[in-house]
Amino acid sequence: MASQGQQHPIKVYFLVWFLLFVFSAGSYYVDIAGFEGMARWFLILVFMLLKAGFIVAVFMHMKWERPALILAILLPTLFLLVLMYLMAFEADYAYATRVLYFGADPNAVALPPVTH
Amino acid sequence: MAQAEIPYQESMELSHPHSWWTKYWFSQDHKVIAVQYGITAIAVGLVALVLSDLMRIQIAFPEWEIMSPDFYYQAITMHGMIMVIYLLTAFLLGAFGNFCIPLMCGARDMAFPFVNMLSYHVYLLSVLILLVGYFVPGGPTGAGWTLYPPQTITAGTPGNEWGITTMLASLAVFIVAFTMGGLNYITTVLQARTRGMTLMRMPLTVWGIFMATFLGLLAFPALFVSAIMMLLDKWIGTSFFMPAIVSLGEHLEYSGGQPLLFQHLFWFFGHPEVYIVALPAFGVVSDIISVNARKNIFGYRLMVWALVAIGILSFIVWAHHMFVAGMHPFFGFFFATTTLIIAVPTAIKVYNWILTLWRANVRLTVPMLYALSFVLTFILGGITGLFLGNVIIDVPLSDTYFVVAHFHMVMGVAPILVIFGGIYHWYPKITGRMLNDRIGRVHFWITFLGTYIIYFPMHYLGFIGTPRRYFDNLGVSDFYPMSAHYLNDVITIVALVVGASQLLYIYNLVYSYFRGEKASPNPWGAASLEWCTPQTPPEHGNWGDTLPTVHRWAYDYSVPGHDKDFIAQNEPQRSPA
Amino acid sequence: MAEATNQNPQGAIESTVVDWSSDQTVFKGVPWGKAMMWIFLLSDTFIFTCFLVSYMTIRMTTGAPWPEPSLVFGLTVFGMNVPLLLIAIMTFILITSSGTMALAVNMGYRGNKNGVFWLMLATALLGLSFVGMQAFEWSKLISEGIYAWENQMEAAPQFGSIFFMVTGFHGLHVSAGVAYLAIIAFRVRMGKYDKKGYDIVEITGLYWHFVDLVWVFIFAFFYLW
Repeated sequence: MASQGQQHPIKVYFLVWFLLFVFSAGSYYVDIAGFEGMARWFLILVFMLLKAGFIVAVFMHMKWERPALILAILLPTLFLLVLMYLMAFEADYAYATRVLYFGADPNAVALPPVTH
Repeated sequence: MAQAEIPYQESMELSHPHSWWTKYWFSQDHKVIAVQYGITAIAVGLVALVLSDLMRIQIAFPEWEIMSPDFYYQAITMHGMIMVIYLLTAFLLGAFGNFCIPLMCGARDMAFPFVNMLSYHVYLLSVLILLVGYFVPGGPTGAGWTLYPPQTITAGTPGNEWGITTMLASLAVFIVAFTMGGLNYITTVLQARTRGMTLMRMPLTVWGIFMATFLGLLAFPALFVSAIMMLLDKWIGTSFFMPAIVSLGEHLEYSGGQPLLFQHLFWFFGHPEVYIVALPAFGVVSDIISVNARKNIFGYRLMVWALVAIGILSFIVWAHHMFVAGMHPFFGFFFATTTLIIAVPTAIKVYNWILTLWRANVRLTVPMLYALSFVLTFILGGITGLFLGNVIIDVPLSDTYFVVAHFHMVMGVAPILVIFGGIYHWYPKITGRMLNDRIGRVHFWITFLGTYIIYFPMHYLGFIGTPRRYFDNLGVSDFYPMSAHYLNDVITIVALVVGASQLLYIYNLVYSYFRGEKASPNPWGAASLEWCTPQTPPEHGNWGDTLPTVHRWAYDYSVPGHDKDFIAQNEPQRSPA
Repeated sequence: MAEATNQNPQGAIESTVVDWSSDQTVFKGVPWGKAMMWIFLLSDTFIFTCFLVSYMTIRMTTGAPWPEPSLVFGLTVFGMNVPLLLIAIMTFILITSSGTMALAVNMGYRGNKNGVFWLMLATALLGLSFVGMQAFEWSKLISEGIYAWENQMEAAPQFGSIFFMVTGFHGLHVSAGVAYLAIIAFRVRMGKYDKKGYDIVEITGLYWHFVDLVWVFIFAFFYLW
């Protein structure tokens, strides 16, 4: 069965290996150079996705798999994007209600209603 | 090259058991594992059944004082959790999945028999951890099967000392067991089918179990994560789900946690879980109806696509369980819409079952009775689901008996009827003997009519506002008309009768194993592959020397111009005359 | 060879439809073990994502301040505070181990048994050193008063909770991976896979790369965000 396995020129692995180091250094640099706000988040995400993409595509050989496998593994993760999006929505709302009722004090406690 | 490859299935090595232990206890034969799963699930299900009858006695006759409030809440929790996870999920996937997938796909065994064997034993461990809850100080948790924080952890909830820990640990272990089994089911269906068995020739049973397993593998992680986080909240004092809170006058050491996060994670698991239970039931019912109607299932392709659509949609409807939880107000609109959309593929399935019966030569065998009663029950339970899926109707009805009636009809009674029918259908192949027909019919009518007498009045109780989960209705129910109190008594008495009648089924299983009529290899005249094994019951390895070759789909019944009224899947195509 | 089997003339959609409606296997040329590992990793992705989504929700909803990661995770070397030094080293170690693992898989398909053994062993050792550094990092944080249930920085207590939980869960994955790698490496050396082929090395590799992949996300969201 060995002939059916994933066999690729070793050069590709060294190239990706090198790129991963570069991207890691890049995201490290984002921190040292002190980028702030959107630029920082954007760069972190870009480097993260690049690294993840290269690991999955080359090291895990997904680039060379047939589309049937690629889609079967990648499409279900869309559910996670839905979860993430909706939970971000929800978290914003929860924070807003907290500020509204407790003034952002995490130790505030809802008191029982006064009984007469 | 890829087309001419030799399937791994041909070179599969089966373990050869040498002792009693490796043959019956640590067996790697999928059929033995299926029976192990089945027996364990039924045993633990009986515990849950007894608990439900005890609760019913308490509700109808609180003046008898047979239990404490703590015991009542613990019974609610254990009943719900056992029925949903340890009985329905384990039986439909563990027992039916293990038995049907390799036989119906034409495989010698599951892809990884050793992992499959481990899966059962880890499941057994999870059941034991769950039951240990009754023996730890404070007893099992009484937080309700949804285990909502913060009340799960705060003082005053029964079982907050140890019971919650055993419950969460048991769930985590169950998820490990399910993952091991589920990976097997998926791999076997995708990669280990026999020659000619394309996905679109598989019986719907396999499709249902396959989709349900897929949902399980993606949904159980959310439960696993929330179980870990709650264990940490409980034992090392993190505040994932616990807000700053005053409990019994004492300011607890928690701050800033988010209880709603648990509910979201729980229902991100919990809603697919409903379909993990329902999809295999859909599949089994489709097969039983087609066999006994002597007609091909109507709209096979649509049935498959409906299963897939339900599976996908089930991941984006979860917060319809949380309409009154205080989540983002816009969510009500979103989740009500997706919930109503999921009714479309479900309705397609119901229409197709009914159209399969249209002008069919229906044989009212016992499995067919169960299957037909499933369709009826599922329609009724599903329609009340449409009520509850609308926010505006859900708000007054939530936490009443209407909800209890809804989910017991749609995911309690309905899948249980399928389990009864499925066991009845495959028992001849599992044991080589038929179940007793007369006992089967008596049990069916008691169970079927009984459950309707139990759950129909509950809708009415819900409409007049009876709250669910109340230990004692005496104080709050003064405004009920007397008829409602009588209804409660009637429900309880019937519930006791139905509960006791389940012993008939167990008796039937045991009696027929020893004394039942010997079964022919294909007693129902079914076309799918599991009825074509060389031996009945099939031996280890299922197919003798050569794997079968499949030439057609599983639903060739009453084909014109054919001498028999069905054509088995492995019968070659004849050249057109 | 592999290029020939896995590339197909049709487009991606058409090829997917053809494969899914084909006979016997959906994933053409994929051994059972590899199919199972991919699906397991998909399930594991859901576990880690649920953790990360919980982290996001908790961090967004808390009213308490969230600590500055580059200050918390700094390391003092020669009297100078270098932010994220240890994390950088850990990241580079894990990437290195991923590289050696990829080479081991390659060696496996070339039939170089010794190469597989030593490369897998190196991967396992790198993994072990990662776990060791994580233990060091944890003990350093704990000695600075950051616990899973509270911290002495006036910051949200969930900072420590979620950090220890997620890195701990990842650390467990790494530890399990080290054991898995070591077992497979020695079985390769014993010649258990001479006949069956070296698919198992690739399957082990999938798991190990996945562990690295999770670290990429943890690195971005916990240490840089």
